[in-house]
Amino acid sequence: MAALEVRGLRKQFGGVVALNGIDLDIDTDRVVGIVGPNGSGKTTLFNVVTGVHPATGGTVCWQGQDITNIGAHLIARKRLVRTFQQAMSFPGLTVNENVQIAWEQGRRGGSRWASPGMILDFVGLAPLGKAIAGSLPFGSLRRLGLAVALGVSPELLLLDEPGAGLNDSEAQAFAAVIAQLPPQGIGVCLIDHDMDMMADLCDRLVVLDFGTKIAEGPPAQVLADPKVREVYLGPDKTAAAP
Amino acid sequence: MPATDNSAGKMGAATEGTRASERLALLTADNASVPLPASVQAITAILLAALLIALPWLGLGYRFLSIAITTIYTAIGLYGLALQFGQAGIMSVGHAALMGIGAYTSAILSVQLGWGFWTTLPFAMAMSAIVGGVIGLPTLRVGGQHYIIITFCFCALFVIVLTNGGTFTGSATGLDVGSVTPLPGINFDKLSNNYYLVLAALFLALAATYLIGISRYGRTLRAIRENEQLARSVGINVDLHKLGVLMVSGLFAGLAGVLQLYYLRHISPTLFGAFPSLYLALMVMLGGARYLYGPLIGAIIVNFLPEVLNLDPVDSRIAYGVCLLLVILLLPGGVSAGIKNIYCAIAGGSEGQGGGSNGRA
Repeated sequence: MAALEVRGLRKQFGGVVALNGIDLDIDTDRVVGIVGPNGSGKTTLFNVVTGVHPATGGTVCWQGQDITNIGAHLIARKRLVRTFQQAMSFPGLTVNENVQIAWEQGRRGGSRWASPGMILDFVGLAPLGKAIAGSLPFGSLRRLGLAVALGVSPELLLLDEPGAGLNDSEAQAFAAVIAQLPPQGIGVCLIDHDMDMMADLCDRLVVLDFGTKIAEGPPAQVLADPKVREVYLGPDKTAAAP
Repeated sequence: MPATDNSAGKMGAATEGTRASERLALLTADNASVPLPASVQAITAILLAALLIALPWLGLGYRFLSIAITTIYTAIGLYGLALQFGQAGIMSVGHAALMGIGAYTSAILSVQLGWGFWTTLPFAMAMSAIVGGVIGLPTLRVGGQHYIIITFCFCALFVIVLTNGGTFTGSATGLDVGSVTPLPGINFDKLSNNYYLVLAALFLALAATYLIGISRYGRTLRAIRENEQLARSVGINVDLHKLGVLMVSGLFAGLAGVLQLYYLRHISPTLFGAFPSLYLALMVMLGGARYLYGPLIGAIIVNFLPEVLNLDPVDSRIAYGVCLLLVILLLPGGVSAGIKNIYCAIAGGSEGQGGGSNGRA
């Protein structure tokens, strides 16, 4: 049984079907990537799984418990933690305070970190502890977003486009940090558009299109899948290819 | 080589200009989340406490002391408002009504049951806290200016209810109470003793504010203020804490209301209407809601300004308006932020934002 089991998950915004019966199993010992064109439902999937938006139908089970629609803070307390694309930090507070807030919340039932400082060391933000989060450069802000999420002592981390807005070297450094997580018992599931990075980083890829899962498996196999190629490159080019 | 000289001069002027604007930015910045050295905080606290305790002996006169008492009980109410606005980010322009709930609870218990100051105090505070929580229920659905309108409506409603409450609330005339039940050896009819009673409550409010500010609870509130969505996703029960902080704010308001009642010995609905509420909001913004001494400074400015400048009520309203505009435009963190930044500039730029004179968020 996988740690996170999503069954038949549906989400409708009025007449728009954002998620149309998604089934997904995610374990905590590897990196799983979720890819798909804009509007395919990737972020909505995270939002519904973590209780930011209520599900229209289907179930989400985490470690054998049904957590569908139980409320975002309760899901976080069960150590299923997510980051946001935009809302990464508490902007008016110092970096130290940002991480301390998350660490204090994650301390219920024991934290994997002895102190908030360890988290800053891990993501490489220790020298910036006294800086105001809102004044950080974008790359550091991404790291802070990860540090805040790690502070809650997650067992599975859902990262929403952690590489967006980073330059190549920053993105590579960030990927290196993410790759260290599964060996420490922190599963990672991430959304990103950088296919090269995803192919390197992920053990498994899931492809969404129009709110349905169209492919799943090891990156090489998924990227070779004709359906995936059609979604990403368009039907004409696929047809034209020899 | 005049051309070179000229360009060098221009560059010099440009750097100068940048430096000046940087300095200005440093003076007007809001550094509430940067804590101060413990020694500076301790010295400020001791000096302030000494000054406030010595005040009745400075021979400043009966009128001065009366205004000081008004200032202090107002400041106690403001500490509640500062907690909900400065820390949790929930503004209210109906805070006087919450003080009124405390004052009227105490007065009604006194008139109907003959209870004294000390017995009614806990009930009044509890009642203000409960009402604070109930008015807070809409915060779960709406935020920002929408909630502010709701608090304003509550305030107006409260005055209507009091005015039409018959003999129970004393209608438009209001209610009278006796003096504070004397403690052994202390008669509160004496103005300086009444001052010390109010001052003791202020010290409690200050201590509570300070302790909340440095505690995990304070950090939780600031997390909600800064980013509600992220706060939820790190496991904070945002709804519960929003109602909670409004109830704690109500406790302060209740205490302030009872102190006001027993200082004035007579209360009427107009004391708790829209204008007093707006003044409270004005004071907390003027002083700086995120700073430990901000509410006190705000209360001092608004209560003493007409006295010092000898303004009539209309002029003073204009003065308040000008002050508020200046603070919003130049000092978003309030007067406390300005004082702290000036101290930083004097204490040495090398220390950067580490120093300051005015407490912390």
